[in-house]
Amino acid sequence: MLNVETMSSSQQYIQLYEEQRALLEQNSCPTMNAQRSKAAQLLAQKKLPTRRNERYRYFNVQEAFAPDYGVNLLRTLPAIDPYATYRCNVPNLSTQLYFVVNDTPMLHCAPNQPTEGVTICAMREAGALLQEYYNKAVNDADTVAALNTMLAQDGIVVHVAAHTKVKHPIQLVNVCDAAMAMMSNRRLLIVVEEGAEVQFLLCDHVAGKSAYLTTQVTEAFIGRQAKVDFYTIEENADNVNKLALYYVQQQAESRVAMNGVTLHAGHSHNHVNVQLLGQHADHFTAAAVIAGDRELVDYNIVVEHVAENCNSEMLYKYVLDDESEGAFAGKVLVREGAQHTTSQQTNANLCVTPTARAYAQPMLEIYADDVKCNHGSTVGKLDETALFYMRQRGIPETEARLLLQHAFVNEVLQRVELEHLRDRLAHLVELRFRGELSKCAGCKMCQ
Amino acid sequence: MLEIKNLHARVEGKEILKGVNLCIGDGEVHVLMGPNGSGKSTLSHVLVGNPKYEVTEGSITFNGKNLLELSPEDRAHEGIFMSFQAPTEIPGVSMTNFMRAAINAKRAYFGQDQIPAAEFLKMLKEKRKLVGLDAHFMSRGVNEGFSGGERKRNEIFQMAVLEPLFSILDETDSGLDVDALRIVADGFNMLRTEKTSAMVITHYQKMLDYLKPDFVHVLVDGRIVKEGTAALGYEIEERGFDWIKEEVNNA
Repeated sequence: MLNVETMSSSQQYIQLYEEQRALLEQNSCPTMNAQRSKAAQLLAQKKLPTRRNERYRYFNVQEAFAPDYGVNLLRTLPAIDPYATYRCNVPNLSTQLYFVVNDTPMLHCAPNQPTEGVTICAMREAGALLQEYYNKAVNDADTVAALNTMLAQDGIVVHVAAHTKVKHPIQLVNVCDAAMAMMSNRRLLIVVEEGAEVQFLLCDHVAGKSAYLTTQVTEAFIGRQAKVDFYTIEENADNVNKLALYYVQQQAESRVAMNGVTLHAGHSHNHVNVQLLGQHADHFTAAAVIAGDRELVDYNIVVEHVAENCNSEMLYKYVLDDESEGAFAGKVLVREGAQHTTSQQTNANLCVTPTARAYAQPMLEIYADDVKCNHGSTVGKLDETALFYMRQRGIPETEARLLLQHAFVNEVLQRVELEHLRDRLAHLVELRFRGELSKCAGCKMCQ
Repeated sequence: MLEIKNLHARVEGKEILKGVNLCIGDGEVHVLMGPNGSGKSTLSHVLVGNPKYEVTEGSITFNGKNLLELSPEDRAHEGIFMSFQAPTEIPGVSMTNFMRAAINAKRAYFGQDQIPAAEFLKMLKEKRKLVGLDAHFMSRGVNEGFSGGERKRNEIFQMAVLEPLFSILDETDSGLDVDALRIVADGFNMLRTEKTSAMVITHYQKMLDYLKPDFVHVLVDGRIVKEGTAALGYEIEERGFDWIKEEVNNA
């Protein structure tokens, strides 16, 4: 009985797909269209996840999909010019900036052109590259990903040619902005060829007060010896349900860092699947999560060591205030034959109030016999002794609390390699703790 | 400067202070001695307003103000400083940021602007030299990875920066070797003026030698039972506390 709502949601969207298929496909491209019926079948068969699904234990999918959302099947262009409306850059860090408003890539009006060796285009225009990679990294028969594949009509493709060292980070900003309740199905495909180096800044923002549901599937194919940093910044509000799914495949000797900062969320599920396919690949994933009110931030990560001699590290730190909930479920899966795997999982939670909830679930699943895997998680309160020490020195209690909370997540911020971004994030985090980061005011990277 | 009258206080429901009376004048250094568990640290924590300690009776007046009505931070701004017996580690909060926050809070309390960066750094440098604390400690987390001796030096460094009127040294000498003790004591002595006072908790004669206190008080079972000059301190060093306890019992 529990999943009646879910069944109806799954059914409802499958029905939408079946009824509107012609329109949906007409406004998309052959490669995306080719994946739809298989995705619809999977969704029909497995339905949207419930809490009984291991990877959605902490996120209520039924509730997220319950409202009646509009879908922009006609691909009506948003009436705004995001490049004029939202100013989004980190001071002293000039980025190659692109917007996605709801699920429409706004590339044509972008003021900047990609630098040499970088191709950025809409999926509808990507052709052969899309055909080669689209939906190929999605490896877990996840039905949220299936729903996205069934309904997504466009997205962004970023290609970085072999041995290109991209100087300015590529910044992609997702904005929810609609006058009515809306569902966006976003799609991002990143292909970084051998030996290339690039940094991505991926931002999620919301403008307006309507209810939003976004599913976003990112696939990243990282070539041999490539070095890629992803910085994700979430600055949403309580009217947003976000399900972000990342599928990352790494070839030999590649290095990927995924560093997330959540400043505000509604209900946020971040689903990360990493496959280390070539020897000596290195993956670092981290997040600093700051949640308050009734926000929920859920990270569910599986790093799969397929090849030998790879290293992975997870570092997740949550500061949870009010009645917020933070969930971390991280699994290191070492496949048979992936000898000499090293991995480290760290999850630490600071519950500022007795009503905040932290769920910590570090997991190891190992099928090789010569590996070094460590994991640890903690849930704690603010250190009263430290708090009093600071007050004795004259630091007011609110300021002392703020310093302690900031210090707690600072370990994650320190791992951000771009100095200007690191400073900017530290500043934003401080504003967030001070409650001076107002919600729904567009992009916060500029102010 | 400080007037404590009939002070009763408890911690976790247990009464520790049972009527303490103590007056400390401007420019005076008082030493507080007493057997373990007699209430010395409790008295210190009550003076700085630690919320774990509950005052059930009595009064504390500090330069004419009712101290018990002030928050710990306001007491600090009014000029009360405590060198902690076991200074806390605060990982991730750098010494520099910590001191800046403390100084600016005090300035804000007195309606002054924030301290200019150059002035702040210059001052840190001067005060560091006073206690022989290396520059690299400033970028480390507060007491993070500091040795016992470094922590105690750091306490005196903070005292030098904050320039309190009244300082409480709660066993600042414990765990220090002879050289570190001299550095800490010299630092303290250099900060002494006719306007500043201190209450020093110690078990050691060496501290008496260095500080040359004006008065010595003995706390037994939550009350001050004997008072005298530095000579009393030396007598205790030699004879222990039992003879004082006997005096109390016989009285």
